[in-house]
Order: sequence, then C-alpha cells, then structure tokens
Amino acid sequence: MALDTRHKAALFAAAAAVRLLLFQAFPFLPDRLAGRVELSTPVSSFKRLQEGLYLYTHNVSPYDGGVYHQAPLLLPLFSLLPDASYYPFATNLVFTAVDLLSAHALAQIADSGHAAATRLFKSSRQGLRWSTAAIVACFLFNPFTLATCMARSTTSLTNLFILTAMAKACCGASATFLLAISAASYLAMHPILLFPPLLVLLYDTRTEKLKAAPNALAFTAVYTLGLILVCGTLLVVSAILSGSWEFLEATYGVRLLLPDLTPNVGLWWYFFTEMFDSFRDFFLGVFWLHVASYTPGLTIRLRTQPLFVATTLTGIFAIFTPYPSVADAALYLSLVPLFRHLFPLMRYTFLASAAVLYASFLGPAFYHLWVYAGSGNANFFYAITLVWSLGLSIIVGDSLFAALRDELDVQRPELRDKEVKRI
Amino acid sequence: MASSGNEEQKQPPPETKQSLWLRRAVIASFWAVVAFLGLPVWYKTTAIYRADLPLQDMTAWANGQVCKPVFPLHIAVQAPLLAQDAHHLLHATQQTLDDLSDFPAHQLHLAFAEPPPPANASQQVTADGSGPADLDDTVALSVRLIPVETGVTPRSQLQPFSATLDVYYQLSQIPTQSSTSSPLTTFIAHELHQLYAQERVRLSSLYSDAASQSKSLSPELTAQLQRDATRAFKYAPTYHLTFSLFTPTSSPSAWDIETALRQYMNPILESFAGISNFTIDTQVQLYANFSPSIRQPEYDENTKAWTIFKEDVSGFINAAEWPLSPSIGQGPTINFALYVPDEVQSPLFVKGSRDNSWLVPQWGGVMILNAQSHETTLTKEALVPAMQVFSTQLSSLLGLPQTPASLPLRISTLTRIHATSLLFSASSTLGALAQVYQKMPTIPVPDTVAKSVNLSLAHLRQTCESLRDGRFQDALQNARTADGEAEKAFFERSMVGQVYFPDEHKVAVYLPLLGPVAVPLIMAALKEVKAGIAALKGR
Repeated sequence: MALDTRHKAALFAAAAAVRLLLFQAFPFLPDRLAGRVELSTPVSSFKRLQEGLYLYTHNVSPYDGGVYHQAPLLLPLFSLLPDASYYPFATNLVFTAVDLLSAHALAQIADSGHAAATRLFKSSRQGLRWSTAAIVACFLFNPFTLATCMARSTTSLTNLFILTAMAKACCGASATFLLAISAASYLAMHPILLFPPLLVLLYDTRTEKLKAAPNALAFTAVYTLGLILVCGTLLVVSAILSGSWEFLEATYGVRLLLPDLTPNVGLWWYFFTEMFDSFRDFFLGVFWLHVASYTPGLTIRLRTQPLFVATTLTGIFAIFTPYPSVADAALYLSLVPLFRHLFPLMRYTFLASAAVLYASFLGPAFYHLWVYAGSGNANFFYAITLVWSLGLSIIVGDSLFAALRDELDVQRPELRDKEVKRI
Repeated sequence: MASSGNEEQKQPPPETKQSLWLRRAVIASFWAVVAFLGLPVWYKTTAIYRADLPLQDMTAWANGQVCKPVFPLHIAVQAPLLAQDAHHLLHATQQTLDDLSDFPAHQLHLAFAEPPPPANASQQVTADGSGPADLDDTVALSVRLIPVETGVTPRSQLQPFSATLDVYYQLSQIPTQSSTSSPLTTFIAHELHQLYAQERVRLSSLYSDAASQSKSLSPELTAQLQRDATRAFKYAPTYHLTFSLFTPTSSPSAWDIETALRQYMNPILESFAGISNFTIDTQVQLYANFSPSIRQPEYDENTKAWTIFKEDVSGFINAAEWPLSPSIGQGPTINFALYVPDEVQSPLFVKGSRDNSWLVPQWGGVMILNAQSHETTLTKEALVPAMQVFSTQLSSLLGLPQTPASLPLRISTLTRIHATSLLFSASSTLGALAQVYQKMPTIPVPDTVAKSVNLSLAHLRQTCESLRDGRFQDALQNARTADGEAEKAFFERSMVGQVYFPDEHKVAVYLPLLGPVAVPLIMAALKEVKAGIAALKGR
C-alpha cells in the first residue's frame, strides 16, 4: 500500500500549489489569519515572532517587552529569511515546506502500518485501512492545516517535529527520533509527555528489527539520558545565543504560569480570568497535573498500541494545554485517519463531527460578536470553545473506547460484533 | 444480541491475572500523580505564610503593662544663695510641690544650678541626687531667684520667649533651717504647680483615654479640652501650609508673601521644628466670588461697614470654585485664606462684631483684610496683621496649649503631649494587629509586617526610656517612628486580600473542579481495595 513516488509527487505538488496560490491570490489573508485567536496563541503567533525578530536583529533582548514567548532558536532561523512584511514569499515557502515535511512523516507512519498491527497486538480488523495517499491528503488538504499554514503559526513546526518523532519511532530510527522529540519539546514543552509512549513504540520496532528484545530498563535509561542530553544542549545553545537564561521564564514560564490571558480555543483562559488570586497557583498546578496524568495511565493501559496512545495524547493536548489552537486539533485530526480500523467501533462519530463543525463555524462568528460588534460578551466565545473541546473530547473518548473494544475482540474473538457492557 | 437475549444470564469469565494487574497499575499511576505531585503542589501553593509576631509584647503594650509613661521635669533653680540655704530652700519647695501633686506620673524635680548655668552645668548637685548629670538637654524650666528690695514680694514673671521664670523675693523670705515652709517656698511651689496645670490635665486625659481611668475633671475644663481637640489637626510629622489670597476683583494681584512669611511666620515654624516639618505654598486667585448659597454682604449704617452674617461664615470659603485642594504632597494641608474685599464693600466684618478672622477646625484659618489703600500689590507691612492672625491660628490648629505664657514651655508641653499620644496610639495599633493576627488565622502575614512590628516595639521602648529620662524631644522622635511603623504594619495591603474569604468558601472553590475528578479516582481505588481484601479473605 506504500505510496508510489509519482502519486506522492503529484499530491505534494498539488498541496504546495494550493498553498502558494492562496498566499499569492489573497495577500491579505496571512496577516488576517495571523490575527485570529483561534490560530495564533501568545506562544505561537507569527506576529509576535516578527516582534521578537525585530528586537533580535536590533540587538535588544527579544524577551524585553513581554510580547515574544517562543523559543530563542527560532530567531536566528527566521532572521535568515528576508523580512516577512515586505518579502513574504520566502517565509511562505518555508511554511509550505514544513507542511510537506510533516506530510512526508505522516506518510512514513502510515506506511509502517503500526497503527493497526504492532509487535504485541494485531487488530482483528487490520485489513480495514485507508491508503497512505488518502491519509496524507486528509492532512494536506484539511482546512485546519491550511489555515495554520496560512497563519504561519509556529505550532506548524512543533507539529512537524512531533510527526517526525512518531515516524522515526515507527521506523526504529533512534537517533533522529531523539532529535525530533527533543526539538518538539524544546519548542512547545508539552510534547515531552509523548516521550513515554513513543519510547515504547521505538522499543517495539527495535525489537522487531533486531529480532531480540533489548533490556527494557537499560533501553529506557539510555534514551532518557539521550533526551536529557539533547534537550539540555538545545537549552544551553539558546542561552548562549540569547545571552542569558531569561528565555526560560519568558517561554516555559509563560506556558506554566499563564500570565497572558488572551482568549484561545482552550479551556484555561476563561477559567483563570475568573480565578481568585490566592488559588491561581494551586489551580495552575491542578490543570497541568491533569494534562500530565494521562500519559502514565494511557501508556500502561494501552502498552500494546503505543502509536494510538501518542495520538490520543495529541488530542488531549489540543483540549487541555494552556494555549491550544486549531493547529493542535489539526495534528490530532490528521492522525485519527490512521486508525480507520477503529471507525466501525466508534459510536458518536456524527455527534463529534457535528460539534467540531458547529464550533468551527460559530467560533469566529461569536468572537466577532464579542470583540468587534460588542453585542456579545466573553461567555459567547467561551461557550463555543467548550463545544469545540467537547467535540474533540468525544472523539478522544470514543476512539479510546473503540481501541479497548478492539483489544477485547482480539482477546475473546467469540464476542466480536456483540454488544458489550462495562462491568 | 439476538442470541444473548434467550440465554440465561451468563457470568462473565473471570478476569485474567494480567488484565487485573494492568488495571491496578493504571489506577496506581493516577494515584501516584495525585499523591507525589498533586499533594505537594496543593501544599506549596495554598500555604499561607504567616510571619511570627511578638504577640505577647504587642498585647502587653496595648494593655499598658510595659510602659507607664512618666514625665519627670527637671527644673533648674538659680539663686544667689549659699549652698546650704539653697539646698534647704529646694528641699522645702520640693516637699510642698509633692504635696500638691495630684497626678503622680507628672513629677517636677528641682535642682540647684550655679548662676551662670550653661558653663559648668555638668557639675550640678541635684536636690535628690538622682538627676541626670547633663542638665542642658533636659532642663524644662529655669527658675531664677532674684532678690529685690521693693515691690510686692514674692512675685514672679515668666519670660515669654525662653523657659525661664523669674521670682523676686526679699532676703527675709528665705526659709530658715528650722522652719519647713515659708511664704517663698509655698509661692514657688504653687507657681510651678499652676504653670503646668493645663499640661497635667491634658496628659491625664490622655491617660484616662488609654486606660479608661475616670478622673474627675471640671466640666468647663473638659469642654475646653474637647474644643481644643476638635480644632487641632491630628498629629502628623509633616504639614503642608497653603497661603491663598482671594479677591473678587482684579486687585490686589500680587502680595509680598515671601518676605512676610520669612519674617513673621518662620520664627514660629522654627520653634515647631522639633515637633513637625512644614512645607509651604502660596497662591493668588483673582475674581473669586462667593458661593451662591450665602447671602451677599450688607451695609450696616451703625458701624459704617459691610457685614456678612455669622451663619454664612461656614460657607464663606467657596470650596467648589476656589482652588483649595484638600491635600498636596505628604501630610495634611493647613489652609490660610486671606480675603481682600472689593473696594466698594470695604470694610467687611462679621455681623454683630468687628471680627474679621475666624478659624475653621481641622482645615485652617480665614481672614478678611480690609486694606487701607487699594493698590495692586500688598506690601509686607500690609500683611502684618494677617500674619499675626495666621500664626495664632496655626498655633491652635497644631494643638498648642493656651497657657502658660511662655512659648518654649508651651511647645515643650506639646512635645510631651504628642509623644504620649503617639505612644498610646502605636501601642493600641499593635494591640489591634495582635488581635487581628490571632482572630484571623487565614490571613497571610508577610515578613515586612513582622519587621515593622519589631521596629515599632524597639522605638516604643526607646520612647518610654526617653520619657523616663526626661529627654522629651527624643521621645517624640521615637514615638513618631513607632507610630508610623505600627500603622504601616497594620495597613499592609497583602493582608486584607483574604480577610473576606472564609474557610467555607474553599469548598466552593475546590469541589466543582476537583469533585468530578476525585469521585472516579476514589471509587476505583475503593473497589480495588475491597477486591483485594476479599481476595485475601478468600485465600
């Protein structure tokens, strides 16, 4: 089922053409989209990146002024490009390339077939799957991905590294896996929670490759050390580059402590505008622990399907992290088609897709009512982000149920296609 | 499905060991997050920091158990007498004084001083032998005994601008060794007692306020005290004085206020320098009209003068239009308004009298200046009456006692009164803070509060010591710092945030979010524990 080169080239060319055409045909669109709260959060906005770039190229600390909250290493990278406000073509090209690279990684994941059949688990429906071309097309032509690309949100880069880490774990390429997962964690911090399930995935693929299981403890220790080493190097390089460690507070500190309450599609901002000051720290801790607590539980429970765990976690990130955007949902929604074999077992597909569609249309409308028309208030937008999160949580929960049901079918084939009840 | 409906209720097959342990591991992983990360986060983020406060000390000060302020006034007596005679005279006078005393905290100590006092004051022989060696700082009053041949004797005269009481006597009035009292000793004792009468009353009223001792004061004295108290500003380390010239026309448009202030106001401000600091600004306001609520001045044929009604005096200052801002800079503002009436309405007085100035309690003073010549500039000489009135008004606005006639004596009285009242006020503030600390265990208390409290206590101790040693100026300085620090500690802003947040509200904060999360966690854990116990029993 592997994607042949001609098809792939055609698909990628079409995707690149669509993006570049949109960039060229609607020159106002990138800036318009970059200003949308649904696409640009304080930690991923391209406008803030430009502000940081301006300060950086004028030899001022980019974190002065408290606008820029992104990783310091993005600055030298983007300062190589011509100024995006006058010559946007190069930047557009970079973001198009990022999407194509992500699609390439996604194709690798799909080709590996780890979604339905891992070392320890073979789904009874593993024949039921979409072609790689369809999955890649689902990613490349997904309106959410397109919008993210047009808004030039740096979440695209995080997504690229997450997808690459998954792909490399599926292929058993350990060094590139470490680099990719470290880069993703370095850029956005929360992807580090993907490390345990992806490590399990890597362990499985290494075992298959070597035809013998390596020592699990030593394996974990080596890769954890590797992760610490790579992340540490990235941080030290950043510190050297920006001249001080203040970037830690401005980047990870902002993600941890949520000082910027700009609205976004997540659940945190509204909650923390209403929070009593004295309980703010406590609930920040609770919210972060809530996000983190899924990783060990899911990894242990679905030990046999690590790719599914990683996918579910990206879905949870899209709902429960402090600054989620549509880009995070785009990543999750592009990974879900890998699990075509679970679709027959899912029960609320209509409800979930309806909720997501409903929210994607009404969200911008309600935001407009609140901020521009003044005929609504913050509750309008917050209500719609609740619906959005509800839609995503239904998909997450439903797919989890389907995965467990699928597992049961393998364990007890006689129960296949029968109604089950939780006891 | 269809087939299962017909079959009998089938028991599900027992769980495999593997899936059982898997489930336990999952539940344990969630609980591990709660226990090893959640609880420390909860503890760390909701802990209320409460700095240790010396509560017992604070309460003891508030109850007046630590310090009973005493006011030992050292009075130096200069007499052209032999040491033995002088000693006897002092002894006899002291005894009479002690007999007269009705307020034990206020003590007058007589000491013999050599005629040229400052030169060798350190070699004093004091009456009771316990006086401080250095009398220069602490001498409250010098009594000069001057022998005369003529006139009524004994008689006394108080120097208005120095703390000196001259007593004129005849040589025959010196008490003999045998007699215990003589007209001279009785006279001096009564004079001194009388001199400090008002101070005693005011200090003892402070005492009774603080310790709620009922002292029998004469009603008219109480009334006067009350009047003085309502007039005077609350004590502040810095006052701002605003001198304003108002005129309903375009003239006078300038006044020689700077030289006038320098010449007539600076001396009194300098004598107050030990008590408070002053900042001054001045302004001129032309075309300043009366407020519409008061009646326009009327011409009185009898006195050939324009008059305003007595009832309108309170509304004379047009607060809405005249630029008299309530407070500029630090400290309260004392306003002095000089009103120069229109030429056609001059002279202007308050009806029924020829009064042209009045005092507005806790605000300032007003004077109508009926100038002889209507020129555009008020000269320094023209301002002399105004300056005299304003300095008198300033004295009573600052709470300066009316008697005795000597200004230094009155100022030192004021020093003692302020030191004492600040001491009491700081003590009671600290007591209140201690109460708040004990009654509200949920409010955070930052370290700055503890620091201020300790500083305040240290200065209170020094105040008390200074008072005991008779160094009243030091006492005032220390009491001022103590009171400032106590207020700072009490009104610390970060403490009040939690005051209106009772513990019950925490349930409302925690439950809505943590409840739904906690219920499945706890139920799952309970179920596992139950199953575990059952398995153990079954074995």
